[in-house]
Amino acid sequence: MTRLPVAMIKPVGTSAGQAPIAPFVGLATLWVQITGTWCNLECRHCINASGPKSPWIKPLDAATIARAIREAEGAGVKEIYFTGGEPFLHGEILPLLELALAAAPTTVLTNGTLIGPEMADALAALAGRAAYSLELRVSLDDTDQEKNDRIRGAGAWGKAVEAVRLLRERGLLPIVTATEITRDEHPAGSGMYERFRDFLHAQGVERPRVKIMPVFGLGRQPAGATPPLTEEDLEGFDRSVLQCADARVVAAGGVYACPILAGLEGARLSTGSLEASFQPTPLYHPACVTCRQTGMTCRNS
Amino acid sequence: MPEQLGEYRRIAVFGGVYSNALALEALLADARTRDVEAVFCLGDMGGFGPHPDRVFPLLREHGVLAIQGNYDESLASGRTDCGCGYTDPRDNHYAVISYRYTFEGTSTENKAWLGALPRHRRLKLGPHRVLMCHGSPRVINEFLWESATPNGLLRHLMERAEADVMLCTHTGIKWHRALPDARHAINVGVIGRPENDGRTNVWYTVLTAGPDLAVEFVPVAYDHETLAREMEQEGLPAEFAETVRTGWWTTCLENMPARERARGRY
Repeated sequence: MTRLPVAMIKPVGTSAGQAPIAPFVGLATLWVQITGTWCNLECRHCINASGPKSPWIKPLDAATIARAIREAEGAGVKEIYFTGGEPFLHGEILPLLELALAAAPTTVLTNGTLIGPEMADALAALAGRAAYSLELRVSLDDTDQEKNDRIRGAGAWGKAVEAVRLLRERGLLPIVTATEITRDEHPAGSGMYERFRDFLHAQGVERPRVKIMPVFGLGRQPAGATPPLTEEDLEGFDRSVLQCADARVVAAGGVYACPILAGLEGARLSTGSLEASFQPTPLYHPACVTCRQTGMTCRNS
Repeated sequence: MPEQLGEYRRIAVFGGVYSNALALEALLADARTRDVEAVFCLGDMGGFGPHPDRVFPLLREHGVLAIQGNYDESLASGRTDCGCGYTDPRDNHYAVISYRYTFEGTSTENKAWLGALPRHRRLKLGPHRVLMCHGSPRVINEFLWESATPNGLLRHLMERAEADVMLCTHTGIKWHRALPDARHAINVGVIGRPENDGRTNVWYTVLTAGPDLAVEFVPVAYDHETLAREMEQEGLPAEFAETVRTGWWTTCLENMPARERARGRY
């Protein structure tokens, strides 16, 4: 039997029935949790506690993914994202990416450790012949090797930096994505964004692309004491700008409201078709507070 | 009652003036030589360039039929930001400088004029039902980049808008796609700054009705050195003047998809 991480089992937030609601305004973004929570790394702050052993969310089969892409294309989707876990562990990642890119611009969120010269060649060829942009988001939590590897595991920094180099050499422009997990280990006031840009420049990257994400208290990261959103918190706020208003996540077990909460029972909107999930979403989880307060998006921009 | 739509045979359309009165003057002179029945602007009169009030008399005297962009909406409603839709800190840094300068330099009268502009326009171009918008038909500041706008989305937007031709701007780089169902989506580009190809000219679009739609992108040369000098005299960022002089974008880069970004210098 698959063991769920503690933070996943413990009921969190308000019950869906009492929670404020976000509207569904139309599908702009399809997320595909292609490898579930199966990952070759075991990062300390992982939002869905991904790792190499017994993934609590199983990888998706190609047929399910193809069906979701078709449905999303029919609904006028604007972008597709592949996430996990580590997407490059999926045996059919390349044909599935090709399929996605025939429908919409597609991004892969990766730790970069499985992108060697051959895979980089294949990705460059794919990007060259696709109708739409292929984007690669390579995770790196610190420009300092020791600080990064303490969070992401020994060797992760070296492999991710090498992946950035391999992709850059082939004309691909990866977006280096960092969470704020080690922010406090740097002198106050030193800009994290600028530090990453400078680092990439020093690596020979002429067009540095950097995305910074907040840390969420779920998965392997301890939950804070943040109470969930109330109607009062949302007064005068345009709920249609929240991710769950125009994004859906296809994962084993169903369709979920947002990439942060994929796999959680309270965020599941359908156990069948994508279309069945096109309905309002309960903002029941403390993570919804972060979205409301920071205006963050899991999209590239 | 069905809306009575203006009917045209040949029109000129441009976007993103960005306070570039010199390019606007050059474009209006060029359009007069091309036998167009009307000239349309898809919004964002201010931002980036110097002396924001200079473009308004030109737009009014030449009878340009305009719609509102996000910048216009923000200026007219007294918002504290341009509503460009950036999420990147570097993009936002320059956007703040530009918006503050433009807000202070735009008269109350011109802000009111911007506030009175419609969000969309519809017209007939021969048999084609045309919808004009700033970002997209659904969101004023939606970025529709060529490499990041799938056909399925265009079909979806145009079916809902009951349009055969959709004209938009906002990203700053022009493109045209003829869809398999004979619809056309056209990003008309901007005249406020060059389009990140190492050339200093800007672009507008001439559309001609026919059994199929003829779409022509027209380059416009203007006195870009004078514009760059005026920007410097006004204390606008050196990066803005560099873009005007070189044709390479130095800012507003982070929202750009990989394919468009790879074509530029930065």
